[in-house]
Amino acid sequence: MRLDSARADQVTALVFFVLGVSLGIGGYTMDRLEVRQIHPASIPGLVPMILGVLLALCAIGLYLGARKREDGPETDDVSMGNLGFAALYTVIYALGLVGRMPFELATGIFITVFVLHFTYDRLAEGRHFAVWVGGAVLYAVICSAAVAALFRYAFLVRLP
Amino acid sequence: MPTLAPYFGALGEFAQPMMLFHVVWATLLGIFIGSLPGLTATMGVALLTTLTYSMERDAAILVLICMYVGAIYGGSRSAILLNIPGTPASAATSLDGYPLAKAGRAQYAMGLATAGSAMGTLVGILLLVMVAPPLAEAALKFGSFEFFWLAVFGIVISGQLTGGASPLKGYIAGLLGLTVAMIGSEGIHAHVRFSFGYDQLNGGIALISAMVGAFGFAEVLTAISQRKPDLVTHSDESDRMLPKLVDLWRYKYTIFRSGVIGTFVGIIPGVGEDIGAWASYAAAKRTSKERDQFGSGSTEGLTAAETGNSAVIPGALIPALTLAVPGSAPAAVLIAALFIHGIRPGPMIMFEQPDFIYSVAAMLTYATIAIGVFGIMLTRVFVLVLRVPREYLMPLVFTLCVIGPYALTQRPFEIVVMVFFGIAGYLLRKMNYPIAPLVLGIILGELLDKSLRRSLILSDGDLTPFFTRPISAGFAVLIFVSVILSLAPARRFLARLVGRGAAREKG
Repeated sequence: MRLDSARADQVTALVFFVLGVSLGIGGYTMDRLEVRQIHPASIPGLVPMILGVLLALCAIGLYLGARKREDGPETDDVSMGNLGFAALYTVIYALGLVGRMPFELATGIFITVFVLHFTYDRLAEGRHFAVWVGGAVLYAVICSAAVAALFRYAFLVRLP
Repeated sequence: MPTLAPYFGALGEFAQPMMLFHVVWATLLGIFIGSLPGLTATMGVALLTTLTYSMERDAAILVLICMYVGAIYGGSRSAILLNIPGTPASAATSLDGYPLAKAGRAQYAMGLATAGSAMGTLVGILLLVMVAPPLAEAALKFGSFEFFWLAVFGIVISGQLTGGASPLKGYIAGLLGLTVAMIGSEGIHAHVRFSFGYDQLNGGIALISAMVGAFGFAEVLTAISQRKPDLVTHSDESDRMLPKLVDLWRYKYTIFRSGVIGTFVGIIPGVGEDIGAWASYAAAKRTSKERDQFGSGSTEGLTAAETGNSAVIPGALIPALTLAVPGSAPAAVLIAALFIHGIRPGPMIMFEQPDFIYSVAAMLTYATIAIGVFGIMLTRVFVLVLRVPREYLMPLVFTLCVIGPYALTQRPFEIVVMVFFGIAGYLLRKMNYPIAPLVLGIILGELLDKSLRRSLILSDGDLTPFFTRPISAGFAVLIFVSVILSLAPARRFLARLVGRGAAREKG
């Protein structure tokens, strides 16, 4: 399903409607702090309630608009393979590798594999295997060392 | 009436070797980031904010402003040479810049873009110095009623103008931003909302982490998943870098008009550089003698677009400094950076930091001089920048996206926030939701929430003052009219009315 299609708008309208209703209910059922004798007009759930109603109304508008709309020709030139790999791999690095091993090592592995994946066609173009891998590793070592040194010594950050 | 004396004083204060060194590297880095398709000014400013925590206040803000100006200008390079705007701000530039490059006049187009950007920023700086101090003074009359309407106005206008054909998507983006701002401890009774028992959410969502995700990570995904563009760098023998003064003089009205339009578009909350460029371009096309050339290599069109987008920068800083309401997405990050460095933007700025507005104007001036010099001298270097393989650059950018927000609080939770907003930002962008209202919602959420509830406490629950206090009433009418006019049935009715009037005149 195209993300800019009318069908996608209908699905997201449904998601936003549920979010709006949940927000409204969350605001309505939120603690009104009567024990603290606050002014009834200043209850913490007031704005979430309003936002919930508005979001649900906008979602209805989006759904009705999407039903009448016809999709135009696809203009986006996206490689789904590249996108899928980049999205999955970046998330694995950020939430899986970082914090579980030294930052330099995690970053070095991440950059090496990323570069090798996206420059794989260079091998077919005649680049020597050792040069291809060596170049990626060297680049990754320099980048990870530089970033780690910058944050650790210049900004005094305790790296994850 | 504000004078220019404090501005010239600030210019003198920044004329120190260390400050000039910061101007040079930060502007160059900004142009580099802006030149690369997919990397935007907002991402550059957000990432650099994480690198300026330990810097001295003035140096840190100077670096961020140079990055902002450099990146908006840098976007013109790829717009002209690749037909892909380096930043959304340069979308209008590519309409005439790329045809000029294909006709063998790439250098001239880049020279004209440099001159337009520099002059646009200078017009904006002049208006910043003249408009911001009285606006800050006027904002002292604002109470919580007015601040509530101001926040609503920001979301509505930003959603409407950035939503393109569908203002509804702009409104939804704004509402989502406001919803995010509801997470964590609220500002009146310190009650924790929507934390779901998860302690890390008690403090709310940090804007910098959200911005680095929505603009940095999302842009990494966008850049890596798109095909490589074709670079046009050939020049014919008559191509020259420096625009003739006579050309610039010919376009003096276009430059001035685009500068003023850009600045005022910048003042409108959360609208940004791309709208400034399009508005200036449209105004120039309407009045130009060479309007038939617009879109096929018009030098006037290129000048208007570049002047317009650059003038938005000082314009966007006017409400950011005086009302703490950002005029653009990069200005929203700048507000967060100002708080980090101990400056409280808002109506009190002229009392607490009376010279700060002039310092910002001086910083913008140095950044403008830098883009003028680098734009003329380093054309060939910037062409090389466009050849940097993104397969090598993007993993490094993503590494900075991970470590930058973490460095803010040294909590791994900030990385989770960055990843969440990165994926959500990418999906929303692909579904044609503008991101600027979302950002504005996150930053204005607290102001809106606190102002509404504080006003209701003051009026004892009575809604009347929201519509009877003069400034509040003005805002209310403006918002009501804007929302009504954005609805399709109202627009159709107006179009029918105008059509009927025109037919009657003909008859």
